[in-house]
Amino acid sequence: MKARCTVEKIKQAVSLAERMTGKNLTLPSLHGLLINASGKSLKIRATNLNVGIEIDIPATIEEEGIVLVKGDLLSNVCGNLKDNLELSLTLEADNLTIATLQSKTVLKCLNHDDFPTLPTVEGESFEIKSTVFQEGIRSVYFSAAITEIKPEIASIFIYSEDTNLCFVATDSFRLAEKKLKVKNIPDIPKILIPYKNIADILKVLDNAPENLQLTFTRNQLSLSGNGIYFTTRLIDGAFPQYQLIIPKTETTKVVLMKQELISTLRLSTIFADKFFQVLFSVSPVNKRITIDSKNNDVGSSVSSIDAVVEGEGIEVSFNLKYFLDVFQALSGDSVSISFTAPNKPIVVRSVQDTSFLYLIMPTNR
Amino acid sequence: MIDTMHYDLSTLWNTCLGEIEQEVTKGNFSTWFKNTTITKEEEGIIYIGVPNEFVREWMVTKYQKVILKTLVNHIDNIRGVEFVISRFTPPTTTTTTDSLFTEKTQLPMQDLYINRDDNLNPRYTFDRFIVGSFNELAYAASQAVVKRPQSAYNPLFIYGESGLGKTHLIQAIGNEIKKAFPEKHVLYTSLEKFMNEFVTSVQNNRQQSFREKFRKIDVLIIDDIQFISGKDGTQNELFHLFNTLYEQGKNIIFSSDKHPNHILGLEDRLKTRFNAGMTIDIQEPDMESRLAIIREKAATLPYPLDNEVLQYISSVATGSIRELEGILNVIAMHSEMRQKPVALSEIKLLIKNSVKPKKMVSFDTVVKLVSGYYNLDERTIYEKTRRKEIVRARQVIMFVLREDFNESYPSIGSKLGGKDHSTVIHSYEKIKSELVHNPSLMKEIEDIRILFK
Repeated sequence: MKARCTVEKIKQAVSLAERMTGKNLTLPSLHGLLINASGKSLKIRATNLNVGIEIDIPATIEEEGIVLVKGDLLSNVCGNLKDNLELSLTLEADNLTIATLQSKTVLKCLNHDDFPTLPTVEGESFEIKSTVFQEGIRSVYFSAAITEIKPEIASIFIYSEDTNLCFVATDSFRLAEKKLKVKNIPDIPKILIPYKNIADILKVLDNAPENLQLTFTRNQLSLSGNGIYFTTRLIDGAFPQYQLIIPKTETTKVVLMKQELISTLRLSTIFADKFFQVLFSVSPVNKRITIDSKNNDVGSSVSSIDAVVEGEGIEVSFNLKYFLDVFQALSGDSVSISFTAPNKPIVVRSVQDTSFLYLIMPTNR
Repeated sequence: MIDTMHYDLSTLWNTCLGEIEQEVTKGNFSTWFKNTTITKEEEGIIYIGVPNEFVREWMVTKYQKVILKTLVNHIDNIRGVEFVISRFTPPTTTTTTDSLFTEKTQLPMQDLYINRDDNLNPRYTFDRFIVGSFNELAYAASQAVVKRPQSAYNPLFIYGESGLGKTHLIQAIGNEIKKAFPEKHVLYTSLEKFMNEFVTSVQNNRQQSFREKFRKIDVLIIDDIQFISGKDGTQNELFHLFNTLYEQGKNIIFSSDKHPNHILGLEDRLKTRFNAGMTIDIQEPDMESRLAIIREKAATLPYPLDNEVLQYISSVATGSIRELEGILNVIAMHSEMRQKPVALSEIKLLIKNSVKPKKMVSFDTVVKLVSGYYNLDERTIYEKTRRKEIVRARQVIMFVLREDFNESYPSIGSKLGGKDHSTVIHSYEKIKSELVHNPSLMKEIEDIRILFK
């Protein structure tokens, strides 16, 4: 094998692919990155059998060939090269020589016979903007359960509803749902992406071109476009029918400023007990809400915020942590909170943006 | 070669895996072949279940030929191999996936709604309650309350040692009444909760709302009522609540670990009221019931336990059902860890600590206590006599020494007047096999074991 390409391209590709090498697997070849020089490009491939990636980078190929090198090794070497140089890869016997004008490194290679091919996903397919897909995932992923016992909720649930692509995640104490308009989507009954693979997907989306082709079957999903092919395992299970627990009615609705709510909640965190339980009281007469928190060891705090209140007065206690999580996904500057009963979930939304919904279960006082 | 129809597919696959393991490297084997199964065989095609698409892809490209070659060696008429993605779960997690399956129809968030109003745990139903001679009376009375709430069994007072299923039974009553009469307002509470609620209401000066809450209940179930002893204020409140509900013909159900007459510090007026309806005790389960319970519970274990093991457990784990569950859990954990059933000898070791008080009782004490139990002179045991009652006592001694104190056969023999070790083995086996059929012998052994405590 003999090939030449720019340092910048290979650096980017290697650092992305290196994330997805199988670091803890028993098969040594999975610790490696496979570089395939053929045609007019270098293809860099990695997989940990949960996700897999193949990145094409343009290169001048003088002699075709395949080589497998340890991922962390290659990534360290490339990471320390200067971007604007040209780099050449030469394979002689078991040694891969990486040379630039300034340096020359020789890496030992692994046996590439055992390195698997990536599955090609053959199923329904549609085009999606990578920013849209990223927004959908970012809006909900923090709500997913981090458990191995219930894989179906330790995942992000994606399905289609008319022209909307819906993203949902829940750990059974809170739930986040984001609906985004996407043109020409097919009917998607269910895609369950494991929570474990979300960090990798977000990283791929950071480096992805504007438009991606998304293909899925029951067990596998792939994202491809402009030289990147990424594929992840899906979970074949049933996501709970979460629509049933979203309250249909509301007895009380409160609208308040987001920034004011955040700072008040932060203050309450200091005094929250070990379950982060706070009491939210809505008073329609005074047009304000009061947040009580009390920790027997630290002290207590009561703070109130002026708000627009519609409906009856109500008291609900819930876990503060779950509330604070939502602000990363909540756009706009005012928040609406709806209540139905002290033992029913509360619904948090942004007043400006109806595409997002967040549900928090009350705690048992 | 064996006919495919009669060949157990999982055994077949295990054999094949064994052969494939020789041909590929260790890393490759554990990466690709772990968690695979044969899911089915149809018209000469073997379908192999693999955990995900990555494995499937690589199996097709790399290992299809090897697998086919190996399979052909074992069965006839095989035309091909296909790979399918199956939700294979290694045996260690079988139980969790099982429970997932049952929960699937349910919303996870529902757990939080469950029984805010009545505190009942819907898992406790009559279907899951195992009836034996030790609890059939209590069970029948409970059924009667559900079928005819206005019957004479009011209040129903169930008492018995801890871990015998009182809570299960009274909660099942609540659940069944709720099912049969949805309009009825059922409330289950433990005495401690009741008391706390009462105390809080006094502190906050909200006694009125506390009373209102309890007085509109149709079926009141209070668990562990014995804790009321010495709590005068709570007794007083309960007395009035009892009267109000009782007069209106509402059902009241209590559980306790003692008969009302034996609860210390319980006012007489409450004692008589508790006794007014039906007072039933739940005994410790007998050998057969224990066996039935163990069978029922063992059926949910990932590895089946054979009869011998079940009988052994039921013979050693006397007493509470909770203890039985504990023992089964220990066994389940061990078999899961090793991914194979646990043998009887290992089980004995495993549960030795959980069932028997580890207490040093000397050889002489055993002889003394057993001979005392059978009203025999201690010395006669050592004599060379074959009088029936003495032989029996001697055999029991041998059995106890072996079973409970793990003495070796020869040492037992030599201490009991120079008997051969085979005599001891015979005696041990004899008693052991008789125990299964002879409840009175079982009782004797149990009594003797109590003497050691």
